[in-house]
Parts: sequence; C-alpha cells; structure tokens
Amino acid sequence: MNYLDSGATSFHKPPSVEQAIRCAMETCANPGRGGHPAAMRAAQTVLQCRELAGQMFDCSAEQVVFTSNCTHSLNIAIRTLVKPGDRVVISGFEHNAVTRPLYALGAEVLVAGHRLFDWENTLEEFERILKKGVSAAVFTHCSNVFGYILPAAEMAELCRKYRVPFIVDGAQSAGILPISLRQWGADFIAMPGHKGLLGPQGTGLLLCGSQPTPLLMGGTGSDSVNQEMPEFLPDRLEAGTLNVPGIAGLGAGLSYLQKIGIEKIHKRECQEAKRCVEGLKKLGFCVFAGEHQSGTVSFVPTDDCEEVAQKLAQRNIAVRAGLHCAPLAHESAGTIKTGTVRVSYGFDAAPWQTGELISALERCKNF
Amino acid sequence: MKFCMITFRSVTPAQRGEGLLRRSGLECSIQRTPRWMEEQGCGYSIRVHCQDVMPALELLRAHDVSFRKVYLRRENGKMEELAL
Repeated sequence: MNYLDSGATSFHKPPSVEQAIRCAMETCANPGRGGHPAAMRAAQTVLQCRELAGQMFDCSAEQVVFTSNCTHSLNIAIRTLVKPGDRVVISGFEHNAVTRPLYALGAEVLVAGHRLFDWENTLEEFERILKKGVSAAVFTHCSNVFGYILPAAEMAELCRKYRVPFIVDGAQSAGILPISLRQWGADFIAMPGHKGLLGPQGTGLLLCGSQPTPLLMGGTGSDSVNQEMPEFLPDRLEAGTLNVPGIAGLGAGLSYLQKIGIEKIHKRECQEAKRCVEGLKKLGFCVFAGEHQSGTVSFVPTDDCEEVAQKLAQRNIAVRAGLHCAPLAHESAGTIKTGTVRVSYGFDAAPWQTGELISALERCKNF
Repeated sequence: MKFCMITFRSVTPAQRGEGLLRRSGLECSIQRTPRWMEEQGCGYSIRVHCQDVMPALELLRAHDVSFRKVYLRRENGKMEELAL
C-alpha cells in the first residue's frame, strides 16, 4: 500500500515496535502493583518509555503522563486550565480535540490568525488577543489539515510575557519537530503516541509543566489510604492499569526516533511534500503550500474530495479527504464547503510514493 | 543482617532511584515497602548497605528523586526509622 495518511496514524511501524509489544504481552504483569518479577518488568518497561520521552521533550520522567491518545491528554489539560465562561485564545487551525472540550465548558473562544503559513499574522493576532486579557491559550504546533507549522516557541514566549497559562497540541509535530517543555515553559503539551512517535494506537502522552486536575479517579498503586488522587505525578493522572504493551511499543518507537534523528525524518517528509506540491500544481489543482510547512499537503481537486480519495483507495493509495475533524482550519483556509484531500507523509517517505500518487491522480482526472 | 531501606511513595521514583544508585556503583535492590512502614499504603523501597545510605541519599537529593523515610535493620532483626 502507498500509505499517505500518516496525519491519522503511522502505519508501517519499525519492526521493533511490534516485537516490544509482543514481548510485553508475554512477560509483563501490572506495573506498580506488586513486587514480583513480572510486575517489576512491567514497571521497568513503563519507566524506560517515560525516561525516553523525558529526554526527547526536555522534562523529567515524572512529568510524562501516559494517556490513551492526544484527545485524552488535551481534555485533561483543558479541564485543568479552563473554567466555564473563561475567555480562551486559540489559533485558527485547531482540531475538534481542542474546540469541542472548550465548547463543552462554555468557554468564550477567541480565534487568532487565519492566514496559512503566515507567522507574522499568527503572532500579531495572537498578541492582540493576549493583550485583551484571556484566562488561557491553546494552540496547535502544526495544522493537521495543511501542515502549517505555527511559531510555537514565539507563541509560548508571548504567553509567558502576558502571564497566560497555555497548552500546546503536539498531535502532528511530536516525533517530527523539536519540542521542549522546559524551554517553552508550557503548562501542558499533549501528543499522541501512535503518529510521529511510531507507537501503537491507544497510546498518548501529556507533558505536565503545572499541577493537573485528574479527569479519571481510581487506583494508582500508591498512597492507597488517601481517598483523594495523589498529589504527585505521574500517579495523579494515571488511575487504573496502564496500557503496558502499548507503552512498550511506544518506547520502541521513541528508541527508533532517537537512533534515526527527528531532523532527518522531518527533512525527508518535507522533501517529498515539496515534490508533491509541484506535481499537484502541474495537474492544475488548488494546492495549499508555503513556508513553514511540514510533510502534509492539502489540495482541492476538481471533483469531490471524497470521490477522489475513493478512487485513490481503489488504486491502493491511502489519503484522507473531508474536513479532517478540523472545521475551524477549513473555515480559516476557505475550504469548509469543499473539504480537501490531504496527503501526509510518514517517517519512511520515499519518492516512489509521490510519483505513484501524481500518476494516479492524472489518470483519475481523465476518468 | 544489617541493611538500610529507603522508602518511596510510588514505583516511579523508586525505580529512578534504583537506576541512579546502580549507575553510581552502589549495590541495591528494589522491593515493596512492608505495610507497617508505609502509613499511606502501597509504596516501594530500595534496600542498600548501611555504609552506602548517606551517598545514596545525597544522590537522590541531587537528582530530585523524592523519598519518604529511611529505616535501619539491625543484626537482631529490629527495624528503626533513622532521623534525617
């Protein structure tokens, strides 16, 4: 399969990921719940992954909390910082994982910056709203629809300047772009384990720079007499049995990234994305491309985007069409009525993938 | 046999501590904390030789690994909490 849907999940994982999952299923019991070898092996597996994540994202192992996905992480972070009726600033490219929890809380949401690939506009608009006074800021590091890499470090700096607590959604950037909890001074950074970090589905991370409010209460294998959740991390947010096989796989994904280097992966993905943009333009499609773009490209075909994606699927080419759970991003780009076809490259991006996609689209056009 | 036990509130700091001590050449092992030692319930401990307990505590403090208490097990089997 020509898999070009890495924005949804990474599909062809390194073989070490599957091996780690299998090994954990065969050898690990419940971490932090016993002192026998199988429980201690599980705890060691979990700690190893936590430490790798801490190294990659510049924080301590205790600040790394395991969740079931990025949405879960964002919900914890948003519920911690935002109270009903609070005024919150977000970027114009947020996913429903950000906007729906805010809507459910009845937050007053102010949107900053609608122009794609325009850092000046994003920063100006963001600062203009921060100046007005907001309770919190939530912004994505990279748009899942258009691959627009937002100036996250500069936005973080502005939040610190105006003393506004903030959350970064690293759904599309973790494992591809550098992220530092310490340098950014973020309250929370949310990310999935199964996309750029190459772990299995059902894994996510929440990096905590502030004390979070638990979304889930229950046993943690610690402080058991206390009927309140422990004050300390990571236990405060990790009620119930962890997904140890998933975390083992995520640990293997992180090790792989550490060995290869995320810069190399980002470069490879961007190179293919650029070739893809050129090919799409030659076919006469409306393509969204610019500076500060990741390995994700969206375009509006002449036919319905879902039909085009279906034709590609019949040729064993996997892309994603529609609104990508991000209607706000499509509103910003003016594609809410048409949707787009999204091509998103993964860590194994290769020229043959682009060549095959462009040829297939050319043939689709002539149908 | 005489030894010391450093108690931790959960498995994560205990394991981080164990790794730190081992990497520094201190012999140690991790185990569940005896129930009577942990009034909050369900903790983990690191067992070290008594002569290593002070360098071990220094290492833990230097790396921000928080521990709860330190116990000494005497030759006669009696355990007592050490005042830090």
